[in-house]
Amino acid sequence: MLREAFTRLRFFFSGQSRATVDEELQFHIDRQIEANLSAGMSPAEARRQALVAFGGRERAREQCREQRPSWSLELFFRDLRYGLRGLLRNPGFTTVAILTLALAIGANTTIFSLLDQALLRALPVRDPGRLVVLSFAGDQDGHVHSDGGNSPGHAHEFSYPMVRDLRDKNEVFSGLIAAASHDVGITWNNRAESISAELVTGNYFQTLGVRPALGRLFVAGDETAPGANPVAVLNFDYWRTHLAEAPVVDKTLLVNGTPFTIVGVAAPGFHSMVWGRLPAIYVPITEQSVVLPDWSMLADHRSYWLNVVARLRAGIGPAQALASLNPLFHSLRAAEFSSLHDQSAEARKDFVTRAHLNLEPGAQGFSPTRQGMRTPLTIVMGMVLLVIAMAVVNVASLLLVRAATRAREFSVRYALGATGGQVMRQLLAEGLILGLSGAALGLALAPEALRLLIHWTAAGSGDTPPFAPTLDWRVLLFTLGIALLASVLFSLAPAVQFWNPRLVESLKQQSNSGAGSSLSFRRTCVALQIGFSLLLIVAAGLFVRTIENLRHVNAGFATDHLLAFDLAPELAGYPAADVAPVEQRVLDAVAALPGVRSVGATNDPDLQDDGTSGDVAVSGYTPPPNDDFDVELPSVSTGYLQTLGIPLLAGRYFNAGDTATAQKVAVVNQLFAQHFFGSVTAALGHHVSRPRLADTDAIIVGVVANAKHSSVRDPARATSYIPFAQSVRRSGLTYYVRTWQPPDTAANSIRAAVANIDAKLIVGDVRTLTAQIDNDLLTERIVALLAAIFGILATVLAGIGLYGILAYSTAQRTREIGIRMALGARRGTVVGLILREVLLLAGGTILVTLPLAVLFTHAVRSQLFGVSMIDPRVYGAAVLVIAGVAALAAFIPARRAATVDPARALRTD
Amino acid sequence: MPPPADLLQGTLDMLILKAVVLEPQHGWAIAQRIQQTSENVLQIGQGSLYPALHRLEYKGWIRAQWGASENNRRARFYSLTAAGRKQLEAELANWDRLAGAINLVLARI
Repeated sequence: MLREAFTRLRFFFSGQSRATVDEELQFHIDRQIEANLSAGMSPAEARRQALVAFGGRERAREQCREQRPSWSLELFFRDLRYGLRGLLRNPGFTTVAILTLALAIGANTTIFSLLDQALLRALPVRDPGRLVVLSFAGDQDGHVHSDGGNSPGHAHEFSYPMVRDLRDKNEVFSGLIAAASHDVGITWNNRAESISAELVTGNYFQTLGVRPALGRLFVAGDETAPGANPVAVLNFDYWRTHLAEAPVVDKTLLVNGTPFTIVGVAAPGFHSMVWGRLPAIYVPITEQSVVLPDWSMLADHRSYWLNVVARLRAGIGPAQALASLNPLFHSLRAAEFSSLHDQSAEARKDFVTRAHLNLEPGAQGFSPTRQGMRTPLTIVMGMVLLVIAMAVVNVASLLLVRAATRAREFSVRYALGATGGQVMRQLLAEGLILGLSGAALGLALAPEALRLLIHWTAAGSGDTPPFAPTLDWRVLLFTLGIALLASVLFSLAPAVQFWNPRLVESLKQQSNSGAGSSLSFRRTCVALQIGFSLLLIVAAGLFVRTIENLRHVNAGFATDHLLAFDLAPELAGYPAADVAPVEQRVLDAVAALPGVRSVGATNDPDLQDDGTSGDVAVSGYTPPPNDDFDVELPSVSTGYLQTLGIPLLAGRYFNAGDTATAQKVAVVNQLFAQHFFGSVTAALGHHVSRPRLADTDAIIVGVVANAKHSSVRDPARATSYIPFAQSVRRSGLTYYVRTWQPPDTAANSIRAAVANIDAKLIVGDVRTLTAQIDNDLLTERIVALLAAIFGILATVLAGIGLYGILAYSTAQRTREIGIRMALGARRGTVVGLILREVLLLAGGTILVTLPLAVLFTHAVRSQLFGVSMIDPRVYGAAVLVIAGVAALAAFIPARRAATVDPARALRTD
Repeated sequence: MPPPADLLQGTLDMLILKAVVLEPQHGWAIAQRIQQTSENVLQIGQGSLYPALHRLEYKGWIRAQWGASENNRRARFYSLTAAGRKQLEAELANWDRLAGAINLVLARI
């Protein structure tokens, strides 16, 4: 068997040469002549008989060649060669077809690569298929530190006591890990910078199966008593790019001013169990008070802050695990409930009875951003597939036009004995050349497009993007699959037409006007192109309107001439007692700068998808049962509200008298006042406090207008501002500077002023608020940009495709037009005739497509902002554009046909 | 002379293998041998002989070598390989089974 394969392989590369076969056949004939001679024939007769007996020598030679193992491949190459020659003879057609495919396939590869990285690729850990992400349903009574990714019934944040209980008492996981991340200040070699740290459980690396690149990683024993074990593991990329691969094991670095011993570096490629999270350093979860100095969450059952991933024990499925976990979870929740304030049956139902765990597949890791990305990416992928479909129809119609001019060629081939299969093979070979060339060009373009796109998404945010501009095997396979499928599809178009046609009829083709099946096929192509491009143009219009609306939304305060920057003295190692004075010095120094109108600061930056919220107790207000009304709770400087320009409706703003020792005060917004007191003025003088937190009782001294806080997308929420001089907890602040001049000119003087106070202070990312809003709207901007690109691409493709078909079919009708004109038709009438046909077809298509477009729009409505699903401007513009393109594509050939001299037109064969 | 009988599908390969079982032969001699030993019943058309020879060679059942013919010309001589011998045995056994079965049926009727 092996031997046979080997022999075949040898002959595959070197079959018998033509000379060998010739010599062998010649010998046979000569030998027969000799035999005939010795049988007594005359030389001439002997030769004649031998040749007659042998039969067709060329045929024998041909049949010998067909035995070669590589024969079918040779045939295929012959088809390719022939196809290539034909395509090169027609460079215009070939260029347009390949470019069309390259654009479509390139776009497709780029977007699929993003989709692949965000949604499909598994974490670089051992056996990722056994990982599950834990979430739960049930009341979260307390405070939540969330990065997002939650949906009703799926809260992804757990308290540390709950994590420990679940980890120690379950019988279905071989490991259960938890992590949270936050920015910290790192000082290494006397250089300070702000980076992202991940707090992890001791079994984190072991459960994931991540190995050390250097030193050791954490073990269960590293998770000790709070603050007792300041050790750190570094991320490989951070170690390489920021510490120059220095020998770091057993060295010390400062995290928020506290010395930590580095024990090792994690393996390259690993970042976090949370996709998109890129920590530079890992510390044990028990060091929480260093990373998040404002909080004390380790012993608190009601601080929800940890994402949880677990590894299923061998042989246990998710359903089985869940069945075993939920009784445990219920008993833990019941124990927690007994310590709650509200012991009503209703509260018990919400907290215990309705609570349950969920297990989600975790091979790709948990991701708060993935949910947000899934819909936009799916939408964009859908648009790209439409572009691909358009490209296929486009190339099919171009091929069809080309094939129609080759009717004679195919008839001749059939006449010479070609079978339908052979003609089909030829057409497929040509299609494959086009498809694969297009795919190759598209693949060559894709990494560059991807790099541009990633660069663009990362611009301004300063974060490392979670995407890499590389294509993996899955993307290559997908592209190849798309290219092959597309090639077969558009090759079939002419094949259908030339599948064994009756010869006589196809020879008559030269004189007929393209009636019958080919006409209806052409009409289908025109209709499909108009339909696809209409869908894409509508999508482009909707998303562009969305981003325009979002950009011009009224935030409740003026966003121009406003700079923002972050500063956290803790990151420079300031002890807690010295933080407030230095913050005041920064405020004073910036306020004194020339060109600065005013400056304010808050611990809860605006329009950055951040929010610190919680429940409040309000004097004179009895909450109805089940009232779960959370309010935003920013701590701000005395000048913050004035700097942003949020109008005062009643009472007063904060002022210099609201010091740490004075009566605690609060300013609430209109929504707050209306919810709790029914009117703006009624709020003044009431008390507001945080339940369960001591020393938070404040008197309401002012009411301000509503302003958007977490994002321009979301409506304003009820808010209670308190001056940070009086707040219990404080961390780094975001400063807002209102300037007289264009704001970006003030950035350098701000940095200088801060450095003047203390060079160790890290001023993070000075940005204008308009830039920050743009950054916050990144997803919408990308979707709008891509949708616009695809819309334009669709218009161009439709133009090319329609023109190709219409130019051909009009040329086919030259004779008919000649007759009409000879009978007295005017030029205008002829042009009108052709235009009317096309526009009728276009109109019909548009009528069919519009309801489809509305249907698709309905599916993407969650991504739209301020634009109706049936926005007449968008639909009207789209219909006008596509009708215009169709009219133009029909008008040019129609005019050309109408200018032909009727006598000449009648003579054309 | 009665018209040459049609060859059963696949039997040509067996006949060729059998023809070269004793000594290497060139194509013409193989055709002659089959024709003569079958007493002119089986006539192999050259058009099918050479494709078959090449096919068998590509399969590795026979091997070809240039050698001097009986009339002192250069000719390609085909000889049986070990794999070819095995194949021949298998085909002969199969043939015997088939022929025996057909004989049985014919004898009964």
